Amino acid sequence: MTYQIELDRVEKHYGRFHALKEISLAIPKGQFVALVGPSGCGKSTLLRSIAGLERITSGTLRIAGEPVDDLPPRKRDLAMVFQSYALYPHMSVRDNLTYALRLKGVSRAERARRAEEVAAVIGLETLLDRRPRELSGGQRQRVAMGRAIIRQPRAFLFDEPLSNLDAALRVRMRKEVRALHDRIGATSVYVTHDQIEAMTMADHVVVLQAGRIEQQGTPVALYDRPANRFVAGFIGSPAMNFIPGVIAGDGRAVRLALPGNPMLETTIAGTPGLQVEVGIRPEHMVLGSPDAPDALPLVVNAVETTGAASYLFTEGEPELIVTTEGTATIRAGDTIGVSVDPARVHLFEPETGASLRSASL
Amino acid sequence: MSGAVTNRVLLAVALALAAVYLFPLYWMYVTSLKTQSSIFAVPPEFLPGAPQWDNYATIWEVANILRYIGNSLVIASGVTLITALVGSGCAYVLARYRNGWIDAALFAVLMLQVLPPSLMVTPIFVGFASVGLLEYPRFATILAFSAKTMPFFVILCRAAFMTVPRELEEAALVDGNSRIGAFFMIVLPLARNGLLISALLVFMNGFGEYVYSASIIADNRLQPASIGMTNFLQPNVVNWNAIMAFAATYVTPILAAFVLLQRQIVNGLTAGALK
Repeated sequence: MTYQIELDRVEKHYGRFHALKEISLAIPKGQFVALVGPSGCGKSTLLRSIAGLERITSGTLRIAGEPVDDLPPRKRDLAMVFQSYALYPHMSVRDNLTYALRLKGVSRAERARRAEEVAAVIGLETLLDRRPRELSGGQRQRVAMGRAIIRQPRAFLFDEPLSNLDAALRVRMRKEVRALHDRIGATSVYVTHDQIEAMTMADHVVVLQAGRIEQQGTPVALYDRPANRFVAGFIGSPAMNFIPGVIAGDGRAVRLALPGNPMLETTIAGTPGLQVEVGIRPEHMVLGSPDAPDALPLVVNAVETTGAASYLFTEGEPELIVTTEGTATIRAGDTIGVSVDPARVHLFEPETGASLRSASL
Repeated sequence: MSGAVTNRVLLAVALALAAVYLFPLYWMYVTSLKTQSSIFAVPPEFLPGAPQWDNYATIWEVANILRYIGNSLVIASGVTLITALVGSGCAYVLARYRNGWIDAALFAVLMLQVLPPSLMVTPIFVGFASVGLLEYPRFATILAFSAKTMPFFVILCRAAFMTVPRELEEAALVDGNSRIGAFFMIVLPLARNGLLISALLVFMNGFGEYVYSASIIADNRLQPASIGMTNFLQPNVVNWNAIMAFAATYVTPILAAFVLLQRQIVNGLTAGALK
């Protein structure tokens, strides 16, 4: 199978700084891939390397089966949407949209026709003669998208395109960008630091840290089966709780390093006596009576509520977060009982951070 | 002291300073319309009683001012052309890259700016003489003075280029431009104002150039107006009114250009200083 974009053991060094480490990634045609990670993880460098704005140090990069390592950006036939939109300020919206076509030598009439067509798709028909500075943030964002789709490129590259928009518009554009991707049958690579954006928009999420791919897979796979502690903590909001523990004698439960050393059942088989990090997502901690037999008794230290959900922060080390639906009647100082579905418990090797579940699978 | 009073005092100081600097200009225009005797009248006449427009006719007919100004134009245009062509490329590179070599180059450029022409003129003269450049004195002057205006132009243009976001250039590269194409189609139009103003300042500098012309151009017919004016200074007689008429004819076009473009010039000079 030929992939639309294929990276094979790509490395990038800036002097002594090792920015990308052994990146291998294969993107089939039509897929929406999100590159996500904390700032400085190399996700933008990876995108810019695909675009040709950075030269990779070693490895191969193929676009539609063709090696492009030595091709300048203009010969790669990719379109890119920048964080700052990068609209040409001295050109009208129409000229911004058709700039790439003009460089390709497309006739004036054809350019005008395609500009109208794309303007209709992105809803900017009435603004074609404006300059970028006369547009709102959302409109500029649309022009940047339009400039990419008018070219019908082999793939779209997005570099945090929504991060300059306000929260409400960001949520709306998230859906629009994805809808546009589906409608034109594009292949997209989308860089973001926002894991919610990555989870909601992408078919395939690639989590990067310190220049390395930590894990890649569908959003649900990353959520349900994080390969390591980093991915487990990065995906999901609020972040997963981590509690040190020791696997108990029968290998089917963990003794937690919490007051009273409570036992927690798991479905992961482990060597008894092994030190582990136990990971439980806040939304998987089910609130019950503190007197129930299997419940973990916890003391609440603070309560935050968003209306739809409430976050209970517990006292002591480590601080745990418990999510409950609706507005909680619980106050700071109350003792709660928390039970957890054994199948929802994650165990990580404390040294390497690797998931014990993936090891046993 | 309240803000309003401070502002007034500062305004008064500014006006006083402007008056001090502009008075010679005024005196030039007034003197150019006086007779030889009224120039030295005591008390001085601040407005000429009977304007002597003949003074202008004299310099036009007798002093060959047109030829001199023509030479000044040739030198100024040549200097501007060379400086703009070479300097904008240099400024662009200095604006886009950041490393030790660039810092060293920038420092060297700034050092050039510090050296006065009167110090440079002798070595340049000797050097030009040995390669035969003195055969073409106006070209030699253009070359020598371009070296003087270059640092100034490069520093100003670099600031102009730095106001153009790098992402715009990258967008152009992805859209299908080559590096050179992106420079001409995106960077240059956006830095245009800064470039034009810098070039204009270089042109005005070249138009008033004196030191190199005086040393390099021996032939009277090739000398610019700045040298031509000194022909009125003779050991026994000094034709002050003719000198002033000559000077007025020489500087008025520059002055007019400056007044018309002063807003753009100030914007161009501060480009890059503000984000």
